Parts: sequence; C-alpha cells; structure tokens
Amino acid sequence: MTAAQISGLAPVAVSPLLTRLAAERATGALLRDRGTLFLEDGRIVHAESPATPGLDVLLTTGGGLAPERWREAVDRAGARRQVARFLVDSGGLAGGELEICHLAAIFDAAFFALSPGTGPSRFRRGATHWIGSVRSVPAAAVERETRRRRELLDAVWPYPLLDTSPVVPRAAAPGQTVTTRQRLLLARADGVRTPADLAWVLGRPAFHTLLDVRRLAAAGLVETPHAPVLAPVETPLPDWITQTQSPDVALLRRLRDALEASL
Amino acid sequence: MPGIDECLLEAMALPGARGAALVDWSSGLALGTAGDSPVGDHETTAAETAELARAAAEYESFAQPAPDSAPGGAPGETGLGLPVEDLIVTTRTGYHVLRFVETSFDSSVFLHLWLDRTDGNLALARHRLRILAEGLVLR
Repeated sequence: MTAAQISGLAPVAVSPLLTRLAAERATGALLRDRGTLFLEDGRIVHAESPATPGLDVLLTTGGGLAPERWREAVDRAGARRQVARFLVDSGGLAGGELEICHLAAIFDAAFFALSPGTGPSRFRRGATHWIGSVRSVPAAAVERETRRRRELLDAVWPYPLLDTSPVVPRAAAPGQTVTTRQRLLLARADGVRTPADLAWVLGRPAFHTLLDVRRLAAAGLVETPHAPVLAPVETPLPDWITQTQSPDVALLRRLRDALEASL
Repeated sequence: MPGIDECLLEAMALPGARGAALVDWSSGLALGTAGDSPVGDHETTAAETAELARAAAEYESFAQPAPDSAPGGAPGETGLGLPVEDLIVTTRTGYHVLRFVETSFDSSVFLHLWLDRTDGNLALARHRLRILAEGLVLR
C-alpha cells in the first residue's frame, strides 16, 4: 500500500479552514503566520511565504532573467495584475517555464504557510495577487503534497534541527561522490547561513534546499546538529514505591508487636 | 507558447502512449499528469521516477566534466548544461522514457512518458519528447 493510500484512509486536515474555503469555492487570501495562500473559486492560484524565495528570486538569482526585466513587468503590469502574462508576452520567459517556476513557488510557499503550530488564520475575501493568473491547483492537492513533503524530510534524515541551524560542511570521505548541485550548495555554506539563507543565495526553492541539506547530512557531508540534551535526571525509584503490593499484614503485625514489646 | 498541459497532451498523442507526467526530480512532485499511471496513482509514480532521475542526474559517471568546474562560481550562474538527456527503462510490457527539461532558471524537471511495449515506438517517442521538452522553454 502506498503512502498516499494510507493517508487517504486517515486524512489529517493540514488546515481545516483551507478545506472549508475550498469546499465553498471561495476567492481571497488566506493569511497565516508563515505565509499567504491566494484562492480563486476554491483553487490555489498563488502562494507566498517570508520563509521562501519568491518568483522574482527564483527567476533572477536562480536564473537568467535580468532584475530590470522583472521590475519592468511589475511596474507596467502590476496595477492590472498581469505580471506573469507580461513576462511571457515580452519574451522574458517561456510560457512553460513560467508555469514550472510558478508551481514550484506555490508548493514551496504552501509548505511553510501550512506548517503546523502556526497561529490563527484569517481570510481576506476577494483579495487577489498582482502576479495574475498562471495555473491553479486544487487545495486538496496542496495539502496532500505538504503532508508528503513533511514525511519525505523525516524519511531522508529525521533531524528537524537541521532546517533552522547554520549549515556546516564536513570533508568528504575518500572516494565519496559530491555532485555538482551539492558542490554549489556546499560552496556557499559558510557555517553561518541556514538552509533558508542558502535558498535565497542560490535562487532555489526553500523546501528543495531543506531536502538537499538533509540528504547531505545523511551522507555525512554536513554536520548534524544535536539538540542540547535536556539532562534526563530520572533517578529510578525503588521497587517498593513503584510496585504497589498489598501490604504484608502478618509482617506489619509482627513489627508492631515487636515495637510494643520493646517499649 | 505551449504550457504544461498542451505538452502532456501532445505526448499522449504518440502511438502506444499510456501515461505522461512532468515531474520535479528533486522533490518528487508531479507538476502535471495525463493518462494513466502504471500503479494507478500518478503521485506515487512521480515520487518513484524522481528517485531514478535524480540518481541519473547527479551521479558523476553520467556527468561530463563541466568546463567551469571551479567550485563557487559567480552566484546565479546558469547554463550548467544538463549532462543527461534522457533515460529509458524497458519493462516486459512497456517503455518508460524520462526526458530532462533544461530551463533558464535552476530547476530539476523531467518529462515522463509511459508507452505500451507493442504499440509504442521508442525512437519516435524519444525524438518527440526532445522537441516537447524544448518547446516548454521556447519563447
């Protein structure tokens, strides 16, 4: 049985509010602590999170788009909310590339926006994003993928502390392969930058960087930070306290008798 | 200016095509799917083919020495050039062709086409997938 089938049997709502908004085919912006999801007729059309590089960074830092072209698109088409279309029509980007990059950005931002433990959500009905319409994905697909990504990270190397700690490279073992993509990441890991910082520097999605760092740590090419051990001072109690036994009445009687006799 | 859906529909028009998907090999996410999946679930197939593609894309034996292999080149350097063009897996009942897509930004995507062994034409499929992969990034 696949993981998808298992999670299908026991669906755990990543965000009950998102599920409800999708069901009522709502349009607007779902604001959460770590990001915002934009909905149109209940489908997710865009997402952004302060934890992830946006489309602009992915296309300029991580790609060949000149920052001036991005700014020109925002200036000229931002007001009519057609920045994406403008980029393609002006020849800055291929239509397929825009879709690929935009989908990557949606799932990346949604992963952080839907992360557990974030505070209350608000929904601003009717709000739209200036990027304009590119592609939309069903909210259920985004929730499913977010869940799968959480499981994937832990399946690779179950040390969540890596996600927020500075990335400290380790020397490769003799004969160990370090791939081109890994070398690019390790070359920028200066012992201060966290995976999120590296995502911005490399112009890659933040989740991809988290995953790469976990894979590198699993391969021993990055230090795995260890949580300060919360001193497990758990002095074991003697058995006569923990194991409740019925008192030995005969013994108690003899003790009492002996004490009375000695008085 | 074809998009993901048009690209997958065209792939499905090939003789013997049973399923197609555009997959991100770094994360295992299916960006788009068409037709059937060999296991009845496109997401599972995407995750599995992504592992195969990642190995091919990253293992040194398949990578030519890059001309600018100096570590830590200029940030934002692109055009690394994909060392691997495609992967072919032949099974008893079908063919799987995985064609890497080169984009103008740092990405990790490939087209996966599943063909029937008797009706599929591997040479035609490889040729067509190359054109489709180039069409995705054509301005």
